[in-house]
Order: sequence, then structure tokens, then C-alpha cells
Amino acid sequence: MPGYRRWLLLRAGGVVFVLWAAATITFFALRLIPGDPAEAILGGPGSQAGPEALEQVRREYGLDQPLVVQYLTYLGRLVTGDLGQSYSLHKPVATAIGEQFGATLTLALCSLVLAWALACGLAAWSVRGGRVAWAIGSGLELVAAAVPHFWLATVLILFFSLTLGILPPVSVPGPLGIVLPALTMAIPLAGFLGQVMRESLLTAMESPFVTTARARGESEVRIFWRHTLRHAAIPAIGLSGWAFGSLISGAVVVESVFARQGLGRSLLSAVQLRDVTLVTGIVLVVALAYTVMTLVTDLADRAVDPRRRAVVE
Amino acid sequence: MPSRRFSRPRAAVVVTAAVALLLAACSPGGGTASEPSSEPVAGGTLTYASGDAEPSCLDPHVGGNYPQALIATQYLESLVSLDDDGEVIPWLATEWTESDDGMAWEFSLRDDVTFTDGTPFDAAAVAANIAHVQDPATASSTGYLALAKITDVVAVDDHTVRLELSAPDSALLESLSQVWVAMESPKALERSQEDNCAAPVGTGPFVVDEWERQDSVTLVRNDDYNSPPADAEGTGLPYLDSIVWRFIPDSASRYAALQSGEAQVIDNAQPDTIKSAESDDAIEELDAPRPGASNRIELNSGKAPFDDERVREAFIRSVNVDDGIQSLFFGTAERSYSPLSSVEPLGLSLPDLFTVDTDAAANLLDEAGWAERDADGYRVKDGKRLTLDFPVSTNQSIPAEQSLFEQIQADAKTAGFEVNLHPLDLSSWYGALAENDYDLVSAPYTKVGPDVLRILYHSDSITPAPSGYFANLAQVDDAALDDLLTRASATSNADDRESMYEQAQRIVLDGYYILPLYDQQNHFLYSSAVQGLRAMPTVSTPTFAGAWLVS
Repeated sequence: MPGYRRWLLLRAGGVVFVLWAAATITFFALRLIPGDPAEAILGGPGSQAGPEALEQVRREYGLDQPLVVQYLTYLGRLVTGDLGQSYSLHKPVATAIGEQFGATLTLALCSLVLAWALACGLAAWSVRGGRVAWAIGSGLELVAAAVPHFWLATVLILFFSLTLGILPPVSVPGPLGIVLPALTMAIPLAGFLGQVMRESLLTAMESPFVTTARARGESEVRIFWRHTLRHAAIPAIGLSGWAFGSLISGAVVVESVFARQGLGRSLLSAVQLRDVTLVTGIVLVVALAYTVMTLVTDLADRAVDPRRRAVVE
Repeated sequence: MPSRRFSRPRAAVVVTAAVALLLAACSPGGGTASEPSSEPVAGGTLTYASGDAEPSCLDPHVGGNYPQALIATQYLESLVSLDDDGEVIPWLATEWTESDDGMAWEFSLRDDVTFTDGTPFDAAAVAANIAHVQDPATASSTGYLALAKITDVVAVDDHTVRLELSAPDSALLESLSQVWVAMESPKALERSQEDNCAAPVGTGPFVVDEWERQDSVTLVRNDDYNSPPADAEGTGLPYLDSIVWRFIPDSASRYAALQSGEAQVIDNAQPDTIKSAESDDAIEELDAPRPGASNRIELNSGKAPFDDERVREAFIRSVNVDDGIQSLFFGTAERSYSPLSSVEPLGLSLPDLFTVDTDAAANLLDEAGWAERDADGYRVKDGKRLTLDFPVSTNQSIPAEQSLFEQIQADAKTAGFEVNLHPLDLSSWYGALAENDYDLVSAPYTKVGPDVLRILYHSDSITPAPSGYFANLAQVDDAALDDLLTRASATSNADDRESMYEQAQRIVLDGYYILPLYDQQNHFLYSSAVQGLRAMPTVSTPTFAGAWLVS
């Protein structure tokens, strides 16, 4: 299958290019903003760094070198798999990311699954319920897709933690702690997935094979799960790679609000502290996860839609 | 997706309705505070939720900021402490004498204290700690500055240590009381910085047990604890089994965690939260203004237009700060008229200098040559608009303070000043200061004692460090003031010191270099189940050494 191999090679090249571009843009963007990283490392409110301390920090982290030298040194180390040393955490970047990545991945995957469940559930309900249900479902999706994470998080905390008192307002060990953060990220995504599904659902429902199925006497719900969902899901699956990326960026807000461990919080504090190596490291890991996820969705797309297999192979 | 365009108004309606429903559903939780029992109860785990950034190092020698001080207060102790009146009292040192020429201090140390790794506390430990803070490899900033005048540490005997100075230092004891120069086990200090940052070893009531990054630090009771400061009630062991120190950056989540019982103590309580907690019997407040400088706006006298004192006075006379503080802080912050915090015994307050007088301000601006106004109503001189750049650190200024700056901006506009607020993250903010790219700025500074005035207003502090950062942001350059501050930091006569610091503050206030706002706000909210909590009179960090939980 030369076509398939070429496709795979192209994709792999694309991954490398994305990673390089992400590292380069992040590196320079952070270094071109005014502000001295050495001061940020030592400083902070109410402290005045001594000149010796600053010199020491500059030497230790190579900040006294020209920017281009710092960049090339950095790229050279990246190629060998060394993400460098985080100066805001006093530890290797790889270790710092390793400690936090699991939490974010768990959150993102839980949210993705929950979002799909919510989107399919709502779609199934609104197919069965007729015109009114369709309108309500569509309205809910619009609202869900529009709400910002920080607002939704606050509302969910107010309702589930302070009013009902059944879920903790901040992350705690165990499965209970992940419910509200995952829900916060899943609801807007479900709204978005639902909207995308709905359009193709509409097209599919008017296609001849559905008419045939109806003529056979199949119920609307059965038609939905057996036939139309497959059609409706294709564009939404294509979006799951993108959705995964958006979940990781959503984690910045959600992890902070719920005080959860994770890369999003690391990223936020690293940006504020101008910890270039840590920011770049996180961006690289996220870019990698994103490209891998896109690859996976492409494969999933083929699995769901036999026509795609025929076209590419 | 064209449908999005239509969704907005509909979404707004639904969202508004949802909020209304939710708010209606959230009736205020009835406060059923149990009667505080007077007998302390041992045991239990307390959860502390901090709104500050998680420290990158738990050893406050490294760097040296307030979040580090907050947590390190639980496991590290200093040579001396302060009592509620600001008097220096014994802690790990039992007594001390200053040599006649002020060039050396001798401290007698307690001989019955051990660090939690078993290392004895002695003169060699003091020497190792001072060396650690002064070692450039430690990258200490706050502690380094506090110990700057110490040139040598001599162990006279096992439990007597002599500090030799480069110049007399009347602030030495106050400096040593700060947790940024607290005593750590010399054996532990020999480990790598990464290890020492993860679990510093002290003599304090608690011990660092585990640090789960971006989640929590677990502190457990020091079962051999025997070294509380001289003003502590009781000498016994801490009551709590452990403290879980969490980091919850979002203010609303932090308060929700307190309300729902996930946390028993929270810091960085915002004005609106404090206000709403007032009506909740199950929640108490601890207001512990930080020592050192008050929160104030510095007027950059180092360049136009504020190099003209008349323009500075005009600005200060034009803006109504009182009303803004009232409405934005809900009565939780009291207006300050001093360069120093209200907890500093030597603080001088001159309210008369800060009464609003827009007519006088207008006359001053006319005199200073800013007589004309342009089409937008701003004053101009030689075709140049009266513009002020105000970089605002969004890390340091809480939302209420940022709103206050906006009100000041509006007041100043009426008077003909164009104030440009620039919200910046910490590094960019440092950058703007280093470039001298500001006319107004507000920067906190925490330090025990009036010597903070020397750091903030001595002309030496205009000379930037190699990084470009400098502490004298008002760029006050006054020989008489320099002389007063230098002599005050060297004198050992308490009356002279008091009088010199008073004159120094008068120069700063009279010269309209600063617009004091309020103390550095430091509000804690805690469950009424927590008893025996107090703030250290040194840097106002809460201590749990004598705290217990009512079951």
C-alpha cells in the first residue's frame, strides 16, 4: 500500500513540523515580551534581588547568552529528548510535566466521554420527542456551546456544592472530585458537538434509507441509534481532535477554579513567571497530544465511514 | 456557524433566567456555630486554602516572598520575635547585647532545641544559616537584603554567637525576626537545593511531610516541639495532628471550600467575601495588616511632569480616594495617610495633606504652566498633553484595587490629567519599571520595622540593580532625607531613631511623593471550629502552633 505509507509519512512529517513550530514560536514570543526572567525567578512582590544573586541566576540558566544561542542550545537539547530545567520549579521540566500530565489527561478524557454522552443523549431525546423536543434540544445546545467555563464552574459550584451539598467545590482525591471539573468542560463541548451532529442528523433523517426503515416499521429511536447517528457522528468525530485541544486549553481555567492538579495550572504559572523552558515543554506535550489525537480521529473516521477507506486506499 | 449569531440574545435570556433561578435557590446557609469550648482539644487535621501562587521552593531563604513566609511560619523559627507592641522578644535566642560601637551583636542561644532531623540547634547552626542566605547560589533576595550588613559570624561557644557588622544596624533585630531568615537544620541545608526546597527542616511546631505539586503540602505535628516564642500561650505541643496546605487560586472557589467545610482557613479573602462572611456565624475573620510600607501610589518625581512638586500636589488634591475605598472595599480597608503600615509603631500619619481640593489643584496646574486644555478636556503645555502612565500589576493589585485605580483615573480626568492604566503581568510590570516607563505605580513592600523607609526612599535605591529593578519608585532624591535614613539605621538610641524616622516620613509626605491608600491587606477567614489561631506580630502570617479544632 504505497498510498497508505505515503499518507503516514506525510502525517509524521507534519507532526515534527508542528512540534518545531510550536517550540520556536513559544520560545521567541516569551522572550520578546519585556521583563527580565532573572528578576521574575528571584523577585515577586516585596523582594529586591541582589546583583550577585541575579548574576548567579543568569549564569545558571544561560540567560546571559545571546538569544539565538539560547534558542539553538535549546533546540539541540530538545532533539536529544531533554526538555531542560524549569527555573520556577527548581526541577527538570520532564519531571514537572510527568507529575501533572496524568491529571490533565484524565480530566480531558473524562470530559470528552461525558460530552459525547451528553450530546448523543440529548440528540436521541430530541429525535423521539418531536418538534418541541427538537426545538428545546437545539436551544439547549446553543446555550451550552456559548457559556464560558469560569461562569459555568461558578454556577455548578453554587448549585451542587453550596445548595445541594453533594459534590465538593474543589478537587478532592477520588472520583467525586472530578465530577464538577469534567462537567464544566463537557457541557460547552457537548453543545458544540450536538450542534454539529444536528445538521447532518437532519439531512440523514430525510434520506431514502430512513424512509425505508420507517416503512419497515422501525421506531424513531431505533432508527436514530442504528442508522442516523452514524451519519451524524462523522463530522463530530472529525472535530474530536480539535475538541481535545480545546479541552486542554479549557483546563487552564477549570484546573484553577477547582484547584486541581494539572498542566493547565502549570502553564498559567509558568507564563506568569516567564519560565520559558517549562512553557515550551508544556506546549510541546500538548501539541504532541493534539496531533496524536487528530491522527486517532482520522482513523476513527475511517472506521465509522466505510466510504473513506475506499477513497484513501 | 451562522446559527451562533442568532443564539446570542436567546442565550442571554436563558442564561439570565438560569442565574435568577440559581440565586433564588441559594438561600443563605443558616449559621449554627457551636459555642466555642474553652478547653483545647488535641488531634484532627486542618485544611488551609491559600490564594497565593504555590511557592516554587518551601525554603524561604530561596527567593523570599510572602507565600513562602505563610507556610514556612508553620515549620521554621527565628532567633527573635516581636510581641503585639512591636517589642523584640526572645525566641531561639534568649538574650542579646549590642557592642558599644554597634559593630557587633552577641546572642545567647537556647541549648535545649533540636531540629526535626535530630541536628542540635547551636552557634554553628546560626552560622550555617547566615552563610546559606548570603551565598549567591541560594538566590535569596529578601533574606539577603535583611542580612546585608553581617560580615562575619563567630561561634563564641556552643550556644553563644557573635554577628559582626560592616556598619551599625538598628534594624538588625527586626530583620532577624522575619521568617525569610529563619533557622534551618545545617545538615538539611547541605542537601541539593531541589531536596531542601521540597522539605526544609526547622525547629517549628510542624514538619513538612509531603508536597504534592499544585495540590497540597502536608504538614504533620512535631512531637518534640519545645521552642515557642516568648509571647506564646502555653509551652506545650501543638494540638493539631496535621495541616493540609492547599492552593486554591480562585477567590470564589476558595470561599466555597470554606463554606462547604473542605477548608477551615482561607487567606486572601476579598472585600466582597469578607462582607458576605460577616453575616455567617460559622465564619470568623482575622485581619492582620502586613508590616513595612502601606499600600500607596508612588509619583515618579524623577521625570516630567511629576518632577514639579506643584503637579504632584495637584494630582493628589484632585483625586477622591476615600469614596472609592468605601464603596469598593465595603469598609474592610481603612484609609492610610502614612508611608508605613498601621502596625508599625513609628508610622506617621498626616491626613491634612491629602484633603481633596480641586480648586487648589487647578491653580497649581495653572502655575506650573499646564493652563490650557485641549479638545478632550486634558491640560496641555507647549502642545503636550498632561499624560500619566500607570502600569498596574494584575498579580499584586486585587480586583477592588484595580477598580479603585479606575476611579482615580476618572477623578484625574476631571482635573485635566490623562491617566493611562496599563494592566500587566508581573514580569512585564517589572519591565515597565526598569525602563522608567511610568509616572504612577503601586508596589507593595513587606519588611518588619521602619527601616523599610531607607529601602524605599533613600536615593541609593534609585540606582537600579543589574536587573533594572529598584525600590525607590517615587525616585525621591533628597540629601536631607538620605542623611536621616542613614543615621536612623545606625543609631542605637531609641528616641533619636523615632525622631529621625518621623522627620523622614514628613519629608516624603510633605513632598507629595506618595498617595497612601491603606495597609497591605491581609485578611483571613476561618471556620468558627478553629480556635487559638493568631497572626505572628512579625510579618503577620498566621500560626497554627496553638490552634485546635472544636469537634
